[in-house]
Amino acid sequence: MAESAGVDVPDVVGIEPILEAKGLSQGQIVRKRFLGHSGAIIGLVVFAIIFIMAFTSVGYAGIPGWWKYSHEDVSPLIHDGAPTASIFPPAWGEHPFGQDRIGRDLFAMTMRGAQQSITIMIVIGLIAGLIGVIVGALSGYFRGWTEAVLMRLTDVIIIIPALLLAAVMAQLAGRRDSGSWFASFASNNGVLAIGIFLGLISWVGLARLMRGEFLSLREREFVDAARISGASNARIIFKHILPNAVGVLIVNVTLTMSAAILTETALSYLGVGVKAPDTSLGLLISQNQAAFATRPWLFWFPGLFIVLICLSINFIGDGLRDAFDPRQKKFNAKKAAEIEVDPAPVTAFDELKGK
Amino acid sequence: MVTYIVRRLITAALILLGASFLVYLLTAASGDPLEEYRASSAPNKQQLIDARTELLQLDTPAPLRYFKWLGGAAQCLIPFANSCDLGKNIAGQPITDALGHALIQTLTLVTGATILAILIGITLGIVTALRQYSTLDYGVTFMAFLFFSLPIFWVAVLLKEFGAIGFNDFLRNPDVPMATALGIGAVAGVITAVAAGGAMKRRLLTGGVAFLFVSAVLIYFSATEWFKNPGLGPVVIAIAGVGIAFAVTLLSAGLKNRKALQSALIAVGVGLVVYFLIQPLLDEATFLMMVLLAVAAVLVGLAIGFLMGGYDRGQSMRAAALTSFLVGFLIMLDRYMQAWPSYFNNSRVRGRPIATIGASTPNIEGDFWILSLDSFTHLILPTLALILISLAGYTRFTRASMLEIMNMDYIRTARAKGLSERTVVMRHAFRNALIPIATIVAFDIGGLIGGAVITESVFSVRGMGFLFLDGIQHIDPNPVMGVFICVAITAMVFNLIADLAYSALDPRVRVKA
Amino acid sequence: MRFGRISKAVGVAAAAALALSACAGNSGGTTPTTAAAAGKTGGSATVVEVNAFNTFNPNTADGNTDINSKISYATHSGFFYIDNKLNVVRNEKFGKMEKSSDDPLTVKYTINDGVKWSDGTPVTTADLLLQWAAFSGYYNDADTEAKTGTSYFSYAGDPTGLALTDFPELSDDGKSMTIKYSKPFADWEIALGGPGIDIPAHVLAKKAGLTDAKAFVDLLKGMPRGDKAAPKPANAQLQAMSELWNTGFDTKTLPADPSLYLSNGPYIVKGVNQDQSLTMVKNKDYAWGPEAKLDEITVRYIGDSAAQVQALKNGEADIIAPQASADTVEQLKTLESQGVTVEVGNQLSYDHIDLNYSGPFAEKNVREAFMKSVPRKDIVDKIVKKLDPKAAPLDSQLFVPDQASYADSVKNNGSSAYQDVDIEGAKKLLNGATPEVRIMYNKDNPNRVDAYSLIRESATKAGFKIVDGGLGKSDWGKALGDGSYDATIFGWINSGVGVSGVPQIFKSGNDSNFNMFSDPDADKLMDELIVTTDKTKQNELITQVDKKIWDSAYGLPLFQAVGVDAYSDRITGVKYMPNQTGVWWNFWEWAQK
Repeated sequence: MAESAGVDVPDVVGIEPILEAKGLSQGQIVRKRFLGHSGAIIGLVVFAIIFIMAFTSVGYAGIPGWWKYSHEDVSPLIHDGAPTASIFPPAWGEHPFGQDRIGRDLFAMTMRGAQQSITIMIVIGLIAGLIGVIVGALSGYFRGWTEAVLMRLTDVIIIIPALLLAAVMAQLAGRRDSGSWFASFASNNGVLAIGIFLGLISWVGLARLMRGEFLSLREREFVDAARISGASNARIIFKHILPNAVGVLIVNVTLTMSAAILTETALSYLGVGVKAPDTSLGLLISQNQAAFATRPWLFWFPGLFIVLICLSINFIGDGLRDAFDPRQKKFNAKKAAEIEVDPAPVTAFDELKGK
Repeated sequence: MVTYIVRRLITAALILLGASFLVYLLTAASGDPLEEYRASSAPNKQQLIDARTELLQLDTPAPLRYFKWLGGAAQCLIPFANSCDLGKNIAGQPITDALGHALIQTLTLVTGATILAILIGITLGIVTALRQYSTLDYGVTFMAFLFFSLPIFWVAVLLKEFGAIGFNDFLRNPDVPMATALGIGAVAGVITAVAAGGAMKRRLLTGGVAFLFVSAVLIYFSATEWFKNPGLGPVVIAIAGVGIAFAVTLLSAGLKNRKALQSALIAVGVGLVVYFLIQPLLDEATFLMMVLLAVAAVLVGLAIGFLMGGYDRGQSMRAAALTSFLVGFLIMLDRYMQAWPSYFNNSRVRGRPIATIGASTPNIEGDFWILSLDSFTHLILPTLALILISLAGYTRFTRASMLEIMNMDYIRTARAKGLSERTVVMRHAFRNALIPIATIVAFDIGGLIGGAVITESVFSVRGMGFLFLDGIQHIDPNPVMGVFICVAITAMVFNLIADLAYSALDPRVRVKA
Repeated sequence: MRFGRISKAVGVAAAAALALSACAGNSGGTTPTTAAAAGKTGGSATVVEVNAFNTFNPNTADGNTDINSKISYATHSGFFYIDNKLNVVRNEKFGKMEKSSDDPLTVKYTINDGVKWSDGTPVTTADLLLQWAAFSGYYNDADTEAKTGTSYFSYAGDPTGLALTDFPELSDDGKSMTIKYSKPFADWEIALGGPGIDIPAHVLAKKAGLTDAKAFVDLLKGMPRGDKAAPKPANAQLQAMSELWNTGFDTKTLPADPSLYLSNGPYIVKGVNQDQSLTMVKNKDYAWGPEAKLDEITVRYIGDSAAQVQALKNGEADIIAPQASADTVEQLKTLESQGVTVEVGNQLSYDHIDLNYSGPFAEKNVREAFMKSVPRKDIVDKIVKKLDPKAAPLDSQLFVPDQASYADSVKNNGSSAYQDVDIEGAKKLLNGATPEVRIMYNKDNPNRVDAYSLIRESATKAGFKIVDGGLGKSDWGKALGDGSYDATIFGWINSGVGVSGVPQIFKSGNDSNFNMFSDPDADKLMDELIVTTDKTKQNELITQVDKKIWDSAYGLPLFQAVGVDAYSDRITGVKYMPNQTGVWWNFWEWAQK
């Protein structure tokens, strides 16, 4: 670790990366810096392990997995449902994480829950990222009426309470025969529907942020150069500006994703999230929170996975942020010059998160 | 500027209209208000359904009901008419009353937590930014993300189990075994050593001192039953006061400014004299008196600084004012501790002071000190829970903002012209880093009013979040609309304030008219 | 089972029906049981409730939440109360209630001298008459369809019993009142006058501009019975009074006007802290009923069960009755070491699976096969055994085990064929067929979800193809009876156990007969049942109906819901109660150690 001798002198980051970046492309710098961020690497490894375990163990989309139980199978209770896994001697046993009160295997349920939570997370990341970028880019680049309309739209979405939308959504998802294609889609793909829905409301923070980036980037010399050489608007947006804003984008998408898992947990706690007998990590811990003192494994294992997933995603995001940092600093100074609203990563459900 | 504000306000009103219409329809569509009667076998089922239908006007289509509601709500805009009508909830209570009560509950719950979270978060953010990639940085980052990842109902259950039930059990017989005291001391030592930074020798030294100090204090407390009869006393106040004087001077003026240091030390001396004089007065304390005393403390400090003068009067005044305010705080803390035994043994409290639910002990009676202690013991757990989960945002944001600023050219210039690190950090970097933070703070304060749905439910506080959730659960649009209107208006106002503050703080940002 | 906003009257009716049918021998006991309680008088207790108090009149459609009823119960007294064996216990110190004739059914109420409101005004028949006017809906002539006429008192309970009565006969001294029913009415004992006479007529009269309670009696005397077909213009004075009755007592804080919270019972409300707590202190004058021991009772509101348990553990609450779940009960049991007493018992509701008499279940064989494959024992073991080790599958559609007739009925109703899972038997009955069955249930109720999972697991083995038809909490109720499913798991709340509830569920074509059960013989028996006042005869009829239901392979009752209460070692005298009065039923016996 580069603990420099100066007690009060902070690491002079501004100088070091330039030396490090000599002769490398932007992608190479970022990769190099990212790989040097130990927190991010640990996060990445942990997340990869959880991801692989969750999707191979109980199978996904009809493909069978290697674990003997599914999250819906009921089997006889062993040891009153206590976990059978032991560290010494190391053994999995019949139900490594234990069983719930009617005998479903908690390992299978946790894995299924992790699948669901990861699915929600990825769907949100994709949708929020896409909409956020498009809205932010258009309003930041074209300004004028486009900006006014799109920004007021984000205002409306920001002030409509996410909890209310979730309640309406859950109501539609719980309904079977109301006939509309949406209801039938929602009832058949509960988790996907929740993910899409949360994605549809959580792009606002990102959109504001991207708009800020675009506002400052469009004034830069290289954009002028591109415009003079006859590039189309689309080309300027996608080829010239977007690659320069991708750091901010990735960082905030990862933050939105980890917040999304917690939002799902909060919604399940309030009874408007994923519905039993399907399950998610959030639903598992909210269902079993009363078991905290009596059958703690029902609470700890899913809780552990939530924390692990969130932590690893946050660390990955943190690593990405730092990896993109050296390049960011230059125009950030100017970015402030045009910004009308703040670039805070305020997402629509920040306030809902857990509180 | 004015045109800009007016334009923003008009668009805000339009947005509010549109969004409220949407929210009303969504609430009405979010479920079946007659659910509880559907599976009933009561002979008068139909009658009950009719009564509920009439109460909620279910036979009127939702869009029409919205305009009816809007008619009542519009009367709120007439000043002094007192004809505000936001409808009634399902139990027949007018929403205006319910909102008023819920607002107070929510604000008591979240205000302290938010302010503390902001202060602690910003401090941690700055410290971690200054020591990027140190063990401290990684540790704080890890803890912040860990708490951020914990579902709050989980945090709440744990806090109640250990912070309330466990701590109350401990208070019954406040005896810290030697091993525990040493253990806690060791933990404190390690944390201090990590936080201290610098060369290994210095770290070990600070860590060791912290270990000895904490262990000794704990053993002393245990032996004297301090936890039952806590207090600071003039000696501790004096020692702590001198420490504060040095720290405040260091941060605000630098220790080289002798005048400032002397002013601060004089303020501590004055504080000690006042400590003895003020005790009888404090017995009669009221909230207003405390506010006045705080103001007086600051004024006295300013006066001391002014009289001391020196080449930079302002710095002396600032250092002395801050010091005397903090010493005043210590005196108040001491008075609270004096009131502790009588609160502890109050027949309503029965020796279990830390509460797990509600905002106050029902029917408790006592003076200002007892009553405010009662509020503290009730607020401490939810406040802690809220701080833990919201710390991450502020820490990370401040850190990022600070790092960015520290790489700016003008910081390099400041260093290059030989300014001390303190001046560079405190005067050049910190103030500029605060600009973007000020805007999130404004947003967060705007969102405060929305309440914290889950925290409120776990700690049995019936605030805005509860009102909102209850409305949703009963498919009762009126309370939902009431909460929504309050939250939306404050959010938009603070949104505007944030934008204006941004342009006020950062002269490069222009508000476009 | 959470008793959210269930009409108090329905609950009491059910309880009384239980009492009437089960305890034919000893109903109408005379003196209140004064237990030899260990505690001394004085002291205080804190009781936890889920909902917040919001009105002093718990009889209105808006106000009848359990908490309002409980506060009213503690601050008012009447001719009877219901004990935890579901007997109607008469309070003769308050007054006498006697059946003076069977045909026509005539009941005379006499209020004792000395019974008074906390402002000193005696309790008279004017107060009883007010209750009668409100509960019977006598003056209403509103027609909801035609939008004509007036509906005065918005009463949440069931008016059918008192609607059979004519204007009561009142004595001149204002102490006795006689009502006459035009038809026999089984539940007459609990129709009027208790457990509390809660709204003072003299206050209402004064506030509506009448001189006193006598003027009020005269006003009512002069008015004819309301007639839907010939609505009259609304009577302004009665309307003013009913308006006040409906909403005038709604408050979340202690009213400045003490006449709005007069007491005639053991306690009187002293303070209300909005949405936080409510405090009651002893009513000094009270001497007409069981004497209360505690000086002060504080009620606090906590919605979350885990928070309730932790509040008990932390000494902030003395008596709690959280929603029962295996974990809550187990958590409470661990507190027993620190002196907490935990009581577990049955509630008056039960979960059951009903099969539609249509679709794949049109054939009786298929229904029987399905019933054979329902693992009732397993469901009970896994869902309720942890809470109540004595729990067993419920074997009657109409009785609960607390009732004497339960055992007799179970012996003959044919439930013995479905004691254990019989996959082979089911396969035989199905004869190779694999019917597809869609089971509808409330996805937001964990017990139903778990029962569904267990049934799915077992029925699949017998060859059924189970389709998950579970719906969210706001939709499953609407779907009942709409034919979109083949079987449904849900619960009947207590009134299903009462006499008047029986035809409501099981008679052909009735409102709550969701699976279209129809049996002409059973219909005939039920017609007879509702006009039978003799309890032995009632039980016989119900037993016969029970057998008819089982014979037609209707479906299966699964288990009774379990309730729990717990109290700290500071308190004695708390006893479990199955209906929604809960632990409050004997609040006067609570004492501090």
